[in-house]
Amino acid sequence: MRPSSLLALLTSAALLSAAEDGAQVYNTLCAACHGPDGKGLNGLPPLVGSEWPKGPAERSIKIVLNGMTGPVEVAGMTYNIDMPPQGAVLSDEKIAAALTYVRDKFAGGAGAVTPAQVAAVRAQTTKRATPWTAAELLNAHPFPPAKTALKNLVGMMYQGEWKTLPDFSALKPALMEDFNAGVIDPAQSGLKDHFAMVWTAQFEAKEDGKYNFVFDCDDFGALYVGGERIAEIKGIGPVGGRRKEVPVILKKGLTPIRLEYVEFAGHEVVVLGYKGPKDKEIKWLSKTKANAPKPRVSIPIEAKDGVAAIYRNFIDKTTPRAIGIGFPNGLNLAYSADNLAAELIWTGKFMDGGHHWTDRGAGNEPPAGTNVIKLSDGPGVALASGEGSVVRFDRKGEGKEWTFSAVKVAAEFKGYDLDAAGNPTFRAAGEGVSLTDAWIPEAIAGKPGLRRTLKSEGDRPVTVVLARDLTSEGADGATVLGGSLSLRALSGPQPKAADKLLTVTLKPGETVVLGYSFR
Amino acid sequence: MKHLTVIALLACVAGLQAAPAKTPKKGKLVPAEAVKAAEARQSEFYERVEIPTPAGEVCEVGSIALLPGKKVAIGTRRGDVWVVEGAYDADLSKVKWTKFASNIHEPLGMFWKEGSLFAMQRPEFTRMTDRDGDGRADRFETICSKWGVSGDYHEYAFGSDPDKDGNVWAVFCLTGSFHSHAPWRGWGAKITPDGKFIPVASGIRSPGGIGANGEGDVFYTDNQGVWNGSSSLKWLRPGSFQGNPTGNKSYALADFPAPPEPQSGSRILTERLKHPAFVPPAAFLPHGKVGNSPSGVGCDLARGKFGPWQGQMLVGEQTASQVQRVALEKVNGLYQGAVFHFLGGFEAGLVPVRMDQEDGTLFIGGTNRGWGSRGSKPFTFERVRFKGRTPFEMRAIAAKLDGFEIEFTHPVDAAAAADVENYALDTFTYIYQSSYGSPEVDQTEPTVKSAVVSADGLRVRLVVDGLVRGHVHHLVVTDVKSKSGETLWHTEAWYTLNELPTSVTSLKLPPVPVDLSL
Repeated sequence: MRPSSLLALLTSAALLSAAEDGAQVYNTLCAACHGPDGKGLNGLPPLVGSEWPKGPAERSIKIVLNGMTGPVEVAGMTYNIDMPPQGAVLSDEKIAAALTYVRDKFAGGAGAVTPAQVAAVRAQTTKRATPWTAAELLNAHPFPPAKTALKNLVGMMYQGEWKTLPDFSALKPALMEDFNAGVIDPAQSGLKDHFAMVWTAQFEAKEDGKYNFVFDCDDFGALYVGGERIAEIKGIGPVGGRRKEVPVILKKGLTPIRLEYVEFAGHEVVVLGYKGPKDKEIKWLSKTKANAPKPRVSIPIEAKDGVAAIYRNFIDKTTPRAIGIGFPNGLNLAYSADNLAAELIWTGKFMDGGHHWTDRGAGNEPPAGTNVIKLSDGPGVALASGEGSVVRFDRKGEGKEWTFSAVKVAAEFKGYDLDAAGNPTFRAAGEGVSLTDAWIPEAIAGKPGLRRTLKSEGDRPVTVVLARDLTSEGADGATVLGGSLSLRALSGPQPKAADKLLTVTLKPGETVVLGYSFR
Repeated sequence: MKHLTVIALLACVAGLQAAPAKTPKKGKLVPAEAVKAAEARQSEFYERVEIPTPAGEVCEVGSIALLPGKKVAIGTRRGDVWVVEGAYDADLSKVKWTKFASNIHEPLGMFWKEGSLFAMQRPEFTRMTDRDGDGRADRFETICSKWGVSGDYHEYAFGSDPDKDGNVWAVFCLTGSFHSHAPWRGWGAKITPDGKFIPVASGIRSPGGIGANGEGDVFYTDNQGVWNGSSSLKWLRPGSFQGNPTGNKSYALADFPAPPEPQSGSRILTERLKHPAFVPPAAFLPHGKVGNSPSGVGCDLARGKFGPWQGQMLVGEQTASQVQRVALEKVNGLYQGAVFHFLGGFEAGLVPVRMDQEDGTLFIGGTNRGWGSRGSKPFTFERVRFKGRTPFEMRAIAAKLDGFEIEFTHPVDAAAAADVENYALDTFTYIYQSSYGSPEVDQTEPTVKSAVVSADGLRVRLVVDGLVRGHVHHLVVTDVKSKSGETLWHTEAWYTLNELPTSVTSLKLPPVPVDLSL
């Protein structure tokens, strides 16, 4: 055997073992989410049909080394899911083998990845401690511009101020350029305001049939296909409301297409796309895609059959242990079980579960309705005699310099009862403190309102915070909080206002009834 | 050359070599294929059926409780609690669901006691009671809410059933699984019936479930990530440190002694010998080979009604939609043992695992919201029952000073079982480090020197040269059949050898601390 053929044999053996190794790494670690066939498991992004594993190896290497976080568009779908970093698990050789396997099997032969490439990226990113976001990766390693159906695209730019489409045949272009990628983009003008562009091209129809053209722009323009004006958008305005969709019957082959566009001032956007006879999705000819942003999943939570709704997940502008109650009369409450305080009152829609109940549900959800009044923040029950008996740990300080510090409060949350109509009575207790806080929907001063009954059954006076840092003014025998929420003492001791703090103090056995309604 | 000379020569060569005379049959099984093949045989031994959930409702099952009168309750991730009648019946089309509570906060642990359902919600441990008997809870008593909740979606709280003293054990995931932004994140605690909060263990990362064995010792699953080279089943020994120092900030909350500050890039064995409170995983569930994200922890105490696994742990697996079986033993005061593939083909990613110990019915629930799974449905509630035909399996593996003893479920065919060539062993461990996960490292290949079959044929004693303390020992058994000719349902096991069963115990575990209740 000649040395060269021996070398060839060795090389091919080495390649073969690398391929086996790549398949093994993939099937052991990657297939659990991306699927043995690269098509993704349920809810997890595929590699097949995705741009991500193609192109520069650095992008894929970064993802494998440090992981990925946040929303990412893959093959036309948006995923919001974390990929755990594998840099500490896999050697350079194993990452190279796995990516070579992925690029060969699922990315249409995007080319082998070498351990040296992985080592180089690893060296560059040693200080990277967090997973990458899609935006970061695409900024560093963009996808290649796809060739579109627009052949011989030429753009001409005109400078001037127009409020209607001018007669371009009478104008002289200030600039004329070929755009071989076949993508229309107003940025090609190099200008922001007061310009026009005319693009001409040959539209390549892959077969005979109906082509639905989608056209929109900010500010205005016209679309010509086969010499005929098929759509026009008139006047100064944004994209969205004036979007046109026009069907055109085309023969297989090239058809002239022309787009006239004028930007007056402000945003500059052109949207052009089409759906051919066999296309399932719109194919875009402009840089801006008019993908209607995926409508947020909405799961309204509301009172049903006269029974109040409840929501126990993270509500915005109150504490993590808040309990939301949506009453059938259109008033809503968020009670903080951390602070033992009514913290939010609002009207209209109660909560939308669409955010917390889809994907991982990270973050807080704001109330779904209107007139959200933030009543207070911080402890809602205090002892007149000083600090309480319940130890709580609060986080103090920001960044890396923080500690837990003990705070003594008067009482802790003990739970709640729900009556047949779902109306809550919250309970709190501490040494010498026992407080119930009941809420019922009821007309107050002729308006839909909430009747609140606070009852103290301890052996010492307790002060309940009704509002903190809210403007309050007296009107018609009520205190008006935040300019719109009326609070009335219906029976029992009178609330007291001092230093932007509205409180009521209950002696042992005392009850106060309060009425809340919007003016 | 005469035959005898050849043999002598070979024997001499073998004697000179450190390596085994026979090549171990390793790498013969690609895990995914082996698992698929085993799943295909499952229906010979077990019946798996889906229990219809309430029509039109999203029931991402996060907890399962057993109620008197053959009723079962499920708690969903959206926070609804449903009670079903008829879940044990042959005809599941007639199950009847009633809603017990709405929109509590992601209950991941639920049980029935003294006329109430108790739920470990994310922010509190709660007793839910239907006082007026209309089928809906009307009293919600917060028994304990002493742990911090920062508002992070990943701060899951999993709760156990009550122990013999009525205490409920809970594990609190780190903030975002990387930080400890609120008190007791990354800790395990015991909650007494009167609501006292007793921190019992630190060093937790991201649990997927919690449950006790027959002795009442509590275990939880912890997922691969920072300081976890691989996912594992861990023993929540009171006073223990579980390996992840992220939650160490909470030591200051209770005047505990200074926490262990382990060294990254080391090995668990090295660090736990330095820090005696560090309890190593009872069983690694090797990442990618056994599963990717372990979840619910159950125990088979059904006295044979679910098969011959009395006392063994059943561990749910989210990504692979499976249940694994873990047979533990206690050696030198530490739990250790082997994990085997067991049940698979479930319809979603598994979260809770609940065994009815009286009846031998295993209920499982699942969801793949936010975390994908092999099972392709968004959520599932299922029932598994033993059909009565015992599969030929390795029932358990026991560590011996010089090897292992494999216990089989049926007597083995002695000739094949005595052939050392039918056992391949390799070992590895993980880097114990602050970065995410670890490769398998420090690989070795021990030699099986002899395999001795017990008189009743149920045990095979392997004498092994080269056991490694602290390593996972991966065993592949090939061509061993039962006396009646059955092949093994599953051929692989991963035994975590924390300790060798020496007669002299060198290990000194710290005493269980006096309860510090808060």
